[in-house]
Amino acid sequence: MPPAIEIDHVSKVFSIPHEHRTTVKEHFLHPLKQVHYEQNRAVDDVTLTIEKGEFFGIIGANGSGKSTLLKLIAGIYVPDSGRVAVNGLLSPFIELGVGFNPELTARDNVHINGALLGLSRRQMSQRFDDILAFAELERFVDQKLKNFSSGMQLRLAYSIAIQVDFEILLLDEVLAVGDQSFQEKCRDTFDRFRTEGKTIVFVSHDLGSVARYSDRVALIERGRLRQLGDPDEVIGVYLSRAAASIS
Amino acid sequence: MAAMTTGTARFGGLRQYAHVVRVVASAEFKLKYSGSALGYVWSVVKPLGLFGMLYVVFGRFFKLQNFPHYPIYLLLGIVLWTYFTDTTQIAMTSLLARSTLISKLWFPRVIVPLSVSTTTTMTLGVNLLAVAVFVAANRIRPQVTWLLLPPLLLELFVVSLGVGLFLSALFLRLRDIGQVWDLVLQLMFYASPIIYPVGFLPEWWKPIAFLSPLVQIIEDARWALIPNEAVATAPDVYGTPLGELLPLTVAGIVIAGGYSFFRAQSPWFAERT
Repeated sequence: MPPAIEIDHVSKVFSIPHEHRTTVKEHFLHPLKQVHYEQNRAVDDVTLTIEKGEFFGIIGANGSGKSTLLKLIAGIYVPDSGRVAVNGLLSPFIELGVGFNPELTARDNVHINGALLGLSRRQMSQRFDDILAFAELERFVDQKLKNFSSGMQLRLAYSIAIQVDFEILLLDEVLAVGDQSFQEKCRDTFDRFRTEGKTIVFVSHDLGSVARYSDRVALIERGRLRQLGDPDEVIGVYLSRAAASIS
Repeated sequence: MAAMTTGTARFGGLRQYAHVVRVVASAEFKLKYSGSALGYVWSVVKPLGLFGMLYVVFGRFFKLQNFPHYPIYLLLGIVLWTYFTDTTQIAMTSLLARSTLISKLWFPRVIVPLSVSTTTTMTLGVNLLAVAVFVAANRIRPQVTWLLLPPLLLELFVVSLGVGLFLSALFLRLRDIGQVWDLVLQLMFYASPIIYPVGFLPEWWKPIAFLSPLVQIIEDARWALIPNEAVATAPDVYGTPLGELLPLTVAGIVIAGGYSFFRAQSPWFAERT
C-alpha cells in the first residue's frame, strides 16, 4: 500500500524584497538600484513519509514553517526543489479555515467552499443541513460571514472540511479557537476518523492533544525537520529546547 | 526538479467545473448588487445612461443621427463594449480579491476569472434584453442573419476571457497594469467605430482597426442585427471573404496566449496574492 503522503527533500524559499518594487515607475526610477532579497527558507530539505491511517502531528515555534509545509502538501504552494506526492483525496483546513468571503452569507460560503472542495451539487444538497447542524449555526445561515465571531467561522469551516469525502485531512490549529463543547465535538470526529482509517495531519500548539492523538510527531525548527518519532519523546525535545532558548 | 501530485481527481470532470463556476458566479452576481436598493436595474441603467449621453452628444449635436439605424447600432456597440471592459477590468483584480481563498484551498485557479466572465455574461444577457426592446420598438423584422449573433457573442466571451486571464495573472506581478489597461481601453474605445460609423475611419486605419476582434464583433453584430450598407465588415475592408479570418486569428491568439500564460503562472498565485 503506498503511503498517504511522501515528502522527498522538499524546500520552499520565499524571496522577500527589502524594498518592495511592484510598479513600473519604481523599476524605471531606480533601474540600477539593487533590490536586496531576503531569502527565507520556510521549508528546508524536509523528508517525511506519512502512512495511510496515521495520525501525524507537527509541532514547532511560530514561524518555523509548519503552515508552509501543510500548504505544500495541499498543493497551494509548489516546492522549489524536491517532490510532494499525495495519494488520496485531500481536504485542507489551513490557517483557521477554508477561505470565506465576509460579504457573503453563510449559505453562499458553504456552497462555494463545498464546491471548491469537490462536493457535487447533489452531495451538497444532501449534506448542507448536516454542515450547519454540526457547526450549530442553523439560525445564522442567512447572515453575512462578517457578522460571525472567529469561533463561529472556525466551526463552519471545520464542518465543511469534514463533509468532503476525504482520505487525508490537513488540520491547522483547529482546536485553537473553538469553545469547550466544540473542541469535544472535534475530538469525537477524530475518534470516528480513526476507526474509518482516515489519515490526519495536524499542526497544533496544544501539546496535550498532540500527545493524545498522534501516532508520530515531527518537530520543525527553522524550516528543518529537527526530530521525528514517538509523540512524548518529540514533545519532550521541543519543550526542553524552548526552555533553553528562554534562559 | 519540483514535481507535484495531489488528490485532484475530483476536479477531473467538466461537470464539477460547471457546478463550481455556477455557484461562484451566481453568488458574485448577488454580491455585486447587495445593499443597493435597485439591484440588477443598475446593470441596465449604466449602459443605457452612457448610450443616452452619447446619443445626445454625437447623434444630436454632431448630427450622426442621420446615419441609418444610428441609435440601435450605437446601443448595440456600447452594450458589447461595456461587456468587454467590465469582464477584463473585473477579471484583472479577481485573483487578488480572492487571496484568502487562494491561500487556503487548492482548486483550478482558472475558475476565478471564468466565474467573473460568467457573472458579466449574465449582465450582458440583461443588457441585450434592452437592445431587444429597442429592436422591437423600431419594428425591425426578424432576419436570418440573427442566427450569426450567438456565435459572435461566443467569440466575444472567448476574447474577453482570454484578455482577462492574461491580465489577472500579470496583475499579481505588476500592479501598474491596472492603470495601463484603463488607458488602453479608453484609446480603444475612441479608435474603434463604436460611437461613430465605420465610414469615419481613415482608409489607412481600417485594415489595422479590423485586426481587433472587438471591431470585427461589433460591426458583424450590427450587420447581423440589421443588414445595411453603412456597416463595413472585415471582408469589405480587406476586399475578400477571407478577411474575416484575420480578426478571428487574433481572437484565437488572445485566448491561447492568455490561457497558457495564466496556466504557466498559476502555481505561484498563492504566494503572490
